[in-house]
Amino acid sequence: MIRKKYLGDSLQQILAWLAVAVTVTVCCGIIGFLFVRGYKEVSLDFITNDTLPASGMAPGILSPLIGTFLVTLLGISIALPWALAVAIFLSEYAGRNRAAYYFRVAIDVLAGVPTIVIAIFGLAMFSRPSFGFMSSMVQGVEGVHKAFGRSFLVCGVGMAIMILPFVIKTCEEAIKAVPSAYREASLALGATKWHTTARVVLLSARKGIATSVILGMGRIIGDTAIVWLLLGGSMKMTGRQPWWQIGNWLNTLKNTGATLTTYIYFNSPAGEGNKAGLAFGASLVLIAVILLLNAVVDVISAQNTSIKE
Amino acid sequence: MDTVKSVAAEQGLSRSRASKRSPIWPKRDIFWERLILSLTVLSAALIILIFVFILQEAWPVIRANGLSLVTTTGFDKQVYNAYYAPANAPVWNFGLLSLIAGTAATTCGALLVAVPAGVGTAIIISEIARGSLKRFLLSIIRLLAAIPSVIYGLVGLMVVVPFIRDNLLTVDIQIKYLQYFQLSGNSMLAGILVLSFMILPIITALSADAIRAVPLEYREASLALGVSKWRTITRVVVPAAKSGILAGTVLGTGRAIGEAIALSMVCGGNAVLPSLTHGFVFFLTPVLPLASAIVNKSEAISVPSIEAALFACGVVLLIMSSFLSVATKAVESAVRRRQGLD
Repeated sequence: MIRKKYLGDSLQQILAWLAVAVTVTVCCGIIGFLFVRGYKEVSLDFITNDTLPASGMAPGILSPLIGTFLVTLLGISIALPWALAVAIFLSEYAGRNRAAYYFRVAIDVLAGVPTIVIAIFGLAMFSRPSFGFMSSMVQGVEGVHKAFGRSFLVCGVGMAIMILPFVIKTCEEAIKAVPSAYREASLALGATKWHTTARVVLLSARKGIATSVILGMGRIIGDTAIVWLLLGGSMKMTGRQPWWQIGNWLNTLKNTGATLTTYIYFNSPAGEGNKAGLAFGASLVLIAVILLLNAVVDVISAQNTSIKE
Repeated sequence: MDTVKSVAAEQGLSRSRASKRSPIWPKRDIFWERLILSLTVLSAALIILIFVFILQEAWPVIRANGLSLVTTTGFDKQVYNAYYAPANAPVWNFGLLSLIAGTAATTCGALLVAVPAGVGTAIIISEIARGSLKRFLLSIIRLLAAIPSVIYGLVGLMVVVPFIRDNLLTVDIQIKYLQYFQLSGNSMLAGILVLSFMILPIITALSADAIRAVPLEYREASLALGVSKWRTITRVVVPAAKSGILAGTVLGTGRAIGEAIALSMVCGGNAVLPSLTHGFVFFLTPVLPLASAIVNKSEAISVPSIEAALFACGVVLLIMSSFLSVATKAVESAVRRRQGLD
């Protein structure tokens, strides 16, 4: 009888271990599969050549790589000051009243909004003629007065909206983890509340904030839906050429391009390019970038004792 | 609006209290404090802004179809008609039922796989594995969470879809169902499999955190009564952690509903209403979830009626995701009240 009773238990244990085994296999399988199919593509030329190079050169991923960098930089530089302001307000000033509660609920709901919805929101908003300065106006179509609504700038704003709730939450946690003795000491020395917050609390929370920024960057780099709709599916920089000259930078930002994720989508069998080898090569580069960011987070949090995962 | 005022009033209060303490209250401080208040209000207003903009764009389709928007099928045909309609007589008839069914089927299927697997993995990670094995498993979960969705889609398309095509499909089945839809391996099953592994790390991470947060006394009390270790875990620790497991499940659901790219790559892209009467072929039906529909049909977005229809998909997604977020918040506060924390 006793044996029978424990049979179910061992079955459950076996199933739990099976789940672990499947998870590990799938994870290693994905990485291994990408590596086996993609390592032949990855070389220095692959990283430094353009997507549509002059004849005789192998196609590379330079402009998607730059595109990913630009979108990440724009997104994080909009999201970080904004999120820090909100995090400071919610943790240091708001307290526990009804208004703060509703702010938190609104930000929680924003956190749950799918990225594709943020993408079409961006399209609806930045296609308005008044936002034409962020992309370009549609020209040559009779009776249409609206902006194109797709550019690096627009995509950066979309990315900022996507990661905003996440960065707010993690920054708030970092700020809350600062011991209150720090604040008290500063206030006792006669510093004002804002001075204390800006110079003492933020400075003490800097490692947590850095972690939050890097995790947010990882989210931007991995996102496809927003890029596909707000940057378009073109595989090269569509601004004034050559795009790497300083005089053309602003024009490049106001025009479309590609990122690594849309490059993979475009070159996968589901996209128009359909060159799976290139997609695997770009996937390997993308995974490498993300692993690098994760490693940086590990280094930061290893030095930091106040932020626990 | 009065919520904003009340915060401002409270701020004013603290400011006057503080200014009694220190005679000099720099104007600069007030500027910065007002700035962070207005940025907070802006970010809270953002969700309302998103609702308004998307509803506004979707309004022509909602007005033209009314409730039949969510009760009729045939999205592919309608998009085709709208695309080839003359510009002076646009077609506004759309029905999203098969898309909603696609979202529901893939999400439920993924949850059925990922919740048991995720909780099982979480139990092993937080209760049983020790030392280097634990560290290894944690980094595996983090890696799975960090893989971008487009890579899941790519691997699904290159591995899962051919597997289904070669092993589960026969020519007989394909011919039999040709009158309904074309079976090609791009299917609901492929979507479910890809989606499960995308939401598994979320469910595992939150469940593991919740299990770790259960006080040691619970385990000690149970073990002291002579209960075996595994029974302690399944009968004491996991029930005590169920609010965290629920939170992970809800987060995973939200991600599954909103996933666009990976599903549009592996699901087939045909808005077919899956039917249970087809038996096992139910799982092999090509489907088109709401989020993927927006990506799939985005090339036709220059046609105003199709644009409005895609925004209507956005409205449905937005309602689903907001409902999930608010429900989580309600469950959270109910749990806190029952535990006497509030």
